Amino acid sequence: MNVHFTHFQAMLLFALVISVAFGFLSRRRPLDRVKYMLWSLFLFLLVGIGIGWAMYPFSR
Amino acid sequence: MTDEVQMTESSPTEKGRETFAIACGAAGWLVPGLGHGLQKMWGRAIVFFITVGALVLIGAGMRGNVFNSDGGDAFASLGYLADLGAGSFYLLAKQDEPNGADVSRARGDYGTRFLAAAGVLNLLCALHAYEAARGRKG
Repeated sequence: MNVHFTHFQAMLLFALVISVAFGFLSRRRPLDRVKYMLWSLFLFLLVGIGIGWAMYPFSR
Repeated sequence: MTDEVQMTESSPTEKGRETFAIACGAAGWLVPGLGHGLQKMWGRAIVFFITVGALVLIGAGMRGNVFNSDGGDAFASLGYLADLGAGSFYLLAKQDEPNGADVSRARGDYGTRFLAAAGVLNLLCALHAYEAARGRKG
């Protein structure tokens, strides 16, 4: 199997899969799980994109 | 005197529970989700199997580095430990990468992270299965 993703797609997929697993690991009620997954996904993307932009001035 | 002995020694039920908990943890490490499956936590079992499996397949598909035991430095050894956390899926990753890793591109580097995350996530799941079997987690 050969998989091709852009940087953003890879990050999004990684964040999505880990958020789902974290939601099921740490919460028991379905609604709490969904809330946790969404919050975790949001923070993953926020931190990832934030660090990406923070490195931008040093990239050239 | 008898009471003191009873207080210090664990009862057969507790010993059985501890054994079952260790079996759940080991099974969860070997096959992602199996530790929860043994406790009839089907939702968690299926989700952990799919998420760890997806991370391994994608990581190997991106030609990430699947570390060996003969790693040259500390980072390679740590990477091997993380990869080994995926249990039987470590072998799946090896099978899925017949051409070996290609970390000369960002894609392969991402793949390495996917594989390491799969291992560490599976260790977390196995630990959760162990704790749940002991009655510490719901």
